[in-house]
Amino acid sequence: MASYLSIIVLLPIAALVARGLSIGVATHGWGAAFWHWRVHVDLGAFWSAVTQPAAISAIRLSLWLSLCVAAINAVMGVAIAWVLVRDRFFGKWAIEALIDLPFALPTIVVGVVLLSLYGMASPLGINLFETWMGLMVALLFVTLPFSVRAVQPVLASLDGEAEAAATSLGAGGLRTFVSVVLPSLWPAVLGGFGLAFARAVGEFGSISLIAGGLGRTTTASAYIYSLTQGFLWTSAAAVSTALLLVSLVILVFSNVLARRVQRRLAP
Amino acid sequence: MSISLSHLTKRYGPHTVVDDVSVEIASGSLTAVLGPSGSGKSTLLKLIGGLETLDGGRVVIEGDDVTHVDPRHRDIGFCFQHYAPFRHMTVAKNVAFGLKVRKRPKDEIKRKVDDLLELVKLEHKAESYPAQLSGGERQRMALARALAIQPRVLLLDEPFGALDAMVRTELRHWVKELHREIRVTTILVTHDQDEAMEVADQLLIMHKGRIEQTGSPTDLYQRPSTPFVHEFLGPTTVFKGEVVRPHDLALLAPGHGVIDGTVASITDLGFEVQVTVLLSDGSTPWVQLSRNEFDRLRLQVESPVSMRERDRRLETGSALTRATQLRR
Repeated sequence: MASYLSIIVLLPIAALVARGLSIGVATHGWGAAFWHWRVHVDLGAFWSAVTQPAAISAIRLSLWLSLCVAAINAVMGVAIAWVLVRDRFFGKWAIEALIDLPFALPTIVVGVVLLSLYGMASPLGINLFETWMGLMVALLFVTLPFSVRAVQPVLASLDGEAEAAATSLGAGGLRTFVSVVLPSLWPAVLGGFGLAFARAVGEFGSISLIAGGLGRTTTASAYIYSLTQGFLWTSAAAVSTALLLVSLVILVFSNVLARRVQRRLAP
Repeated sequence: MSISLSHLTKRYGPHTVVDDVSVEIASGSLTAVLGPSGSGKSTLLKLIGGLETLDGGRVVIEGDDVTHVDPRHRDIGFCFQHYAPFRHMTVAKNVAFGLKVRKRPKDEIKRKVDDLLELVKLEHKAESYPAQLSGGERQRMALARALAIQPRVLLLDEPFGALDAMVRTELRHWVKELHREIRVTTILVTHDQDEAMEVADQLLIMHKGRIEQTGSPTDLYQRPSTPFVHEFLGPTTVFKGEVVRPHDLALLAPGHGVIDGTVASITDLGFEVQVTVLLSDGSTPWVQLSRNEFDRLRLQVESPVSMRERDRRLETGSALTRATQLRR
């Protein structure tokens, strides 16, 4: 399993980081053994690539869009999961299947659908072409399953006794939800938040069409793509590495936070 | 009368879980609702607490008709089978919850929580989380939490169900003591007849959503009004076609009883011995003997014996006479 993980996950990341930080290995003297190796890192190239104004604005756009999207879907995810777990209604199975649709659709298909719906020729009269609203709609769509599916099983596992206890002690619906239900959902909500955020940061296909070609709607992933189109491989790898680091930090942070809450709740 | 239930009915689809139940429960009493699983006893408790909606009937507490009162305004302390702790709150915060909802002043809440934790002997665990408590401690926390709102009625759903045997017995005694101390009208639901007979001063036997019989434990044990109550409240065996308690049968030397037989098997439980006898009519009733009786009879498998029903009145009478003589 470790070797599988290495080949599938770690090796490409290592290659990316090596390229991004311009890490090179050279031997000196006559020997070829590893103590003759010299590793040199060209942080200067990395730094100048990620501090380009275009790079900074693209990364900034990606980060705040992703944070907003993850936050909005954390709230909506809880609401939708609540309805799916607690309510019984006709056509529930259809909604259940619909939630997973963004997982199944090729993201470029989502891009085409959104462009035809919210593009310049929008049948709804809503033109989101080349706006950050358009990007947000796309990202909300593709990340929704993460938020819902993270919370749903945890909500289903609550037996309702604690809620009934709160009710018998005089707490109203809102109070019970906020001070009894929500605290047990936090780890799941945070987990879903982390996944949705990471997905949003990396999303390319669904937003590539509606973003158009303007600088103010160029996300980090679109910027990286444009760099590769100009054969600026080292710069592309450098920006990618920066994006990778940010995503890693957010994922680790939400995981640590979730685990800290979880530990207290464990029976 | 503190709690008056009239014609309570609850249906789940085609099933009538609680079927036209009417009963009066005295103020300050400790009543056990006893019945097999699926008899509707837990549902009855939830109907009183307002945690289930009624399909018919009325609930009156201390003269107030609370049938249509929201559960959060009924002033009822409810303890759940699995304690329903608020896991993310400390023990002290759990106990304080009802008071906080009622917006009591901070110092009053603190004082009250301290008092309650002392009452349930959890002062040292005030800052612990429920996950760090044992089963018995969690149950005591749940009790303190329910008592904090000074309920008019305390409802306990299988309060000892999830505990191991040792803790169970201990907590039973403790609950009985506690009730003697605070005297709040209490109803507890259980499927364990020993538990019900030991703790409660009133029993309410439920079967298939209906009340079979109510009364004191002694009443019900000695004068069961239906075969179900008879069988549910203690061991039974069949002697000459009649259902009797195995301790109401006596073994005598062959020829001295009503019918003769031989000992088929002996189960020695230490404090009591169960002897199964193969009678000449082909039936095999079993008899519950005290250690002393068994030792005196010197029985073995295959021993010839005779059996008759004890005359309970006569024997308790003679035992009483003996006791009075001794005291003199």
